[in-house]
Amino acid sequence: MNRRQLLTGMLLATGIAIAGTAQAADPVRIGFSISKTGLFAAAAPSQLNAYELWRDQVNAQGGLDVGGTKRPIEFVVYDDQSNPAQAVRIYEKLITDDKVDLLLAPWGTPIHFAIAPVLEKYKFPMVGNSAASAKLRDIKPGYIWFPTSAIPDKMGVELAAMLKANKVSSIALLSSVLPFSKEIKSFLLPALDKEGIKVLVNEEYPPDVTDMTAMLTAVKSAKPDGVIVLSYPSDSVLYAKQAKELGIQAPFEFVLVGPTMDFFQKVLGSASNDIVTIGHWSPSRKDWPLAKPFYDAYVARYHEIPDHLDSALAYISCEILQQAVAKAGLDHEKLREAIASTTFDTINGPIQFKGVENVTTPTSFLQVQGDKIELVWPASVATAPYQPKTSW
Amino acid sequence: MGVLLSGQLLFAALSTGALYALIGLGLNLVYGTMRLLNVAHGDLVMIGAYIAFWGFTLLGLSPVFGIGFAALAGALLGWATYVCLFRRMLATPALLRRLEGNSLLIFFGISVILQNLAALAFTASPRGYLYLDEVYHLGNIAMTGNRLLALGVALVICLALYLLLRLHVFGLAIKALIERREAALIVGVNIDRVQLVSLCLGFAIAAVAGVLVSTTEQISPFMGFPFTISAFVVIILGGLGNISAGLAAGFLLGALQIYGVALTSASFQSVLVYGVFVAVLLLRPQGLLGRGRVLR
Amino acid sequence: MTRRRVLELPLLVAVLGAVLPLSGSSYLLGIGFSLCCWIALVQSWTVLSAMAGYVSLGHVVFYGLGAYVVALSWGALPLPVILILAGAVAGVFALLVGLPVLRVRGPYFVILTFGIAELVKYVVILIESRLGEFSRLMFGAPDLPWLYGIALGLAVAATLGAVLIRGSRLGRGLLALRENEEAAETVGVPTTRLKLIAFVLSAIIPGVVGGLVALRTAYFEPMQAFDPTVSFTIVTMAVVGGSDDARGPLLGAVFFTLLSELLWARLPQFYMVVLGVLLIFFVLFIPRGIAGIMRSRLRRSPS
Repeated sequence: MNRRQLLTGMLLATGIAIAGTAQAADPVRIGFSISKTGLFAAAAPSQLNAYELWRDQVNAQGGLDVGGTKRPIEFVVYDDQSNPAQAVRIYEKLITDDKVDLLLAPWGTPIHFAIAPVLEKYKFPMVGNSAASAKLRDIKPGYIWFPTSAIPDKMGVELAAMLKANKVSSIALLSSVLPFSKEIKSFLLPALDKEGIKVLVNEEYPPDVTDMTAMLTAVKSAKPDGVIVLSYPSDSVLYAKQAKELGIQAPFEFVLVGPTMDFFQKVLGSASNDIVTIGHWSPSRKDWPLAKPFYDAYVARYHEIPDHLDSALAYISCEILQQAVAKAGLDHEKLREAIASTTFDTINGPIQFKGVENVTTPTSFLQVQGDKIELVWPASVATAPYQPKTSW
Repeated sequence: MGVLLSGQLLFAALSTGALYALIGLGLNLVYGTMRLLNVAHGDLVMIGAYIAFWGFTLLGLSPVFGIGFAALAGALLGWATYVCLFRRMLATPALLRRLEGNSLLIFFGISVILQNLAALAFTASPRGYLYLDEVYHLGNIAMTGNRLLALGVALVICLALYLLLRLHVFGLAIKALIERREAALIVGVNIDRVQLVSLCLGFAIAAVAGVLVSTTEQISPFMGFPFTISAFVVIILGGLGNISAGLAAGFLLGALQIYGVALTSASFQSVLVYGVFVAVLLLRPQGLLGRGRVLR
Repeated sequence: MTRRRVLELPLLVAVLGAVLPLSGSSYLLGIGFSLCCWIALVQSWTVLSAMAGYVSLGHVVFYGLGAYVVALSWGALPLPVILILAGAVAGVFALLVGLPVLRVRGPYFVILTFGIAELVKYVVILIESRLGEFSRLMFGAPDLPWLYGIALGLAVAATLGAVLIRGSRLGRGLLALRENEEAAETVGVPTTRLKLIAFVLSAIIPGVVGGLVALRTAYFEPMQAFDPTVSFTIVTMAVVGGSDDARGPLLGAVFFTLLSELLWARLPQFYMVVLGVLLIFFVLFIPRGIAGIMRSRLRRSPS
C-alpha cells in the first residue's frame, strides 16, 4: 500500500470514528403507556401508530434536538390494559424507576385524568392528546395540557350553530350511554333549545346494542331534518348500515366517533359520504404545510388513512414536545415554561395553550366527502363547503 | 302498535334470531355431547370473521367461499383441541367428574390465547369490508343484501343440522350421546368418534357464523366476547344440551331484543336480556322450552 | 389447629407488607397495593367458591358495587364511613340475592353469577344515565401510602378470615356440603344457612377493595368498575395458586403480579398468551395449584 492510500485510509477511518461517536450519543428515552388490551384496545393503535411514525421520522433526521444536540429517540412503552389504575402505576414507574427523560400521553379521557395527579406530584410535564371532557378544565394547570378542541361544551354550542346555519329546524338525537356521548348530549340539548331547534326523537342505547331497527323506524317516521348519533365506532357502523337499510332521508347526518377512522369508509363505502363528524384537522388545509406530508407519510407506512382525530392529536402532541425540547432542553421546569408560553407550529397550524386548554384551534367539524375528509365548520377554517346528504 | 306489527321489525327479529340460533347451536353441540363449557365460542366466531375479511381483502374471495374455508379452519381447531386437550380427560372417569368446571377454565385459556394471537397478528385496529350492501324491498320491508344472506345461510345450516340429528344415523348417535351417555356406550356408539365430530361441527358452525357476521359488523380481535355471552343466553333459554329447543331459543332471544326494545326503549335492551337470563336461571334452569329435565 | 398456626399466615402477610413502604419506592408501593387488593379479593372468593364448591364467575359485582358506593358518597361522608359502607352494601346485596341464587347448582350457578354481574352492570349504567351522570371524578382522594395501608389491612383480614373459617364449624360444614350437599343435609348440616353466610362473607371485603381501587384512580365508570376480567383473574389466580388452603391465593396473587411485572407490561399480548397457556397447563396437570406442589414436596421430605 503506498503512502497516499494509507493517508486516505487513515482519514477515512478517523471520519468514520467521528461519525460513529456522534451517532452513539445518549438516546432520549420517552415513556408512555398505551391500551394494547382491554376496552380501548381497538382505539389505541391509531395513536401508537402516530407516535411511532414521529419517532422514526425524527430519528431519520439524526434525532431529537435537545437544546442544540441531536439525540436518537427511544420509547419505553407499557400496556395499561385500558385500566386507569394500571396506568397510574406505569407512569409512576416510568418517572421513578425507569427514569425516562420525557413522557407522552396514554389513550383516552379516563386515563389522562387518572395520571394528572401523578404528573403534578412529580412535577413532570406531559402533553396530552386523546382526552376530551369539559371536566378537563377542573384539572389544576401545571403539568398537563390538552391540544384537542373537541371539547363537549363547545361542541354542543357549535353543533347547534352549524345546524341553525344550515337551516335544520328539527333533529333526532340518538346517544350511547358512554361518558363522552352523554357529556356532549348534556351540552347539546340546551344549545339546541336556545337556537330553537326541535328534538323530535331522543333515545339512548347501551354500548352493546346489536340492532337499531325499532329506534330508527321511529326516527324515520318523525321525518327530522337532521339525525345526530352520538356513537362509538361499532354502533356508528351499525347506525349507518341500518339507516341505509331503512332509507332514512335526513340531509344532515352527524356521527360522533368513527368516520375519521380508516375502516369506516371501508365498511360502508359510499354510504359514509357526507356524514359530519368531530375533528379539527384535515390534510386539505393548504396553509398548514405540515398537514399533507403527515397524511402521506402515514398512508405510505400503514396503508390506511390516519384517524383524523386521534392520530392527528397524537402527532400534534409529539410535535409540541419536540419544539419545546429544542427550545428548553430536558429540564422539567424549563420545559413546562416553554410548553405553557410558546406558540407551536404543528400539522394543525399554530397552537398555543392558556392554562390546560388549546386556545388557538376552534371547535370544528369534519365531513366525509368522497375519499377525502374535509373541514366544513366554522367557515373560518373550512376547506370545503358543507354538503347535505342526499343518499346512502 | 303499528310499529310492533311491521314487517321491518319482523325481519330484524328474524335475522338477529337466526344468527343467535346458529351461534347457540354450535355451543349446544359441544356442551350437550361432552358437557364442555366453551367460553371461547365467540373467539371462534372472531376467527371466522378474520378469515372472511382477509380472504376478501387479499384474495378478492367472496364470503360465500369464505364460509367453506372458515368451516374447515373451525373443524381443524376442533380436532386439535379434542386430540390434544380433551380426549384424555373424557376417557378417564376420575377426570370426567371435574370436567365441567375445568373445561370452563381450559376454554378460558384458549379464549385468551386466540384473542391475543389475533391481536399480535392483525393489530387491534377494527377492520371491515363492503359486501352485498344493496337494499332490496319486499313490500315496505327493506332488507340489506348481506343481512338476507346471513339469514338464509343460518336457516339452511340450522335446518340441515336439525334434520341430521333427526334422520341420519350419525345424528341419532349424537342425540343418544347427549341424552344418555352410558346407554349410548352400551348400544355400541363409538363415543370417541361422535365426540370428535361434535366438537369439530360446533367449532365449524361458530366460524361460519363469524363469516356471516363479518359482512355486517366491524371485525377486531376482541369482538368475540359478546357472541359467547349471547350463545350462553340462548342455550340456557332453550335448556343446556337441548338442540332443537336451542334453535327456537335463538329466535326467541332475537324477538326479545327487538320487540322488547320496541315496547320499552333502546336503553333497556341489555337490562331486558340479562334480566330474562337471570330469571330463567333462577326459576327454570332447565330452560323455557323443551322437557323439564335438568341436565346432569 | 393451634392458635400459633392460625396466625402464621396473616402475620406473614402483615410483616412483609409493613416492610414494603420502608423501601421508599413509590413504584414498589404501587405494586404492593395491587398485590394486597388481589390477595384480599381471592381469599374472600375462596370462602364461597373453594370451601363450599360454588364457583362464582361474577365476583366483580361486589367490587363494582363497592366502587359505586364510594363514587356516590365521596365528599358527603368521611373516608372510613364510606369504605365501611362499601363493604356493607356489597354484603347486603349478597344477603338479598343469596337465597334464590344459591338454590341453583353446578354449571348453572357459575353462569348465573356471571349473568348477575352483567345485569347489575347494565342496571348501574341505566341509573347513571337517568341521573344524567356519565362518569364520576373523585378529587382529593387520599394518597397511595394511605390506600396501601388500608389494602394491606384488608389482605391480612381476608387471609386471617380464610384461615379461621376453614378451621371453624362453618368451614367444616361448607366442606361437607361441597362433597355432597344432599348427604350433608340429611345429616343435619344447615346447608342453606351456611351457604348464605359464606356468600355474604365472600362479598364484604371485595366491596371495600372496589372502593379503594376507585379512589386510587379517582375515577368511576360502570364499564370499568364491573369489568368481567376482574372475575376471571380472581379465578385464574385461585386455580394457579391452589385453593385448598389460605396459602394458595397468596401464591397465586404473588405469582401473577411477578409475572406481569416481568412480562406483561412490555409484551402485553405475549403475556396474555402465556397466561392462557399456563392456565390450561395448571388445570390439566397441576390441579392443586402451586400450593399443592409445595405441600406434596413438604410431605415427601421427612421433617
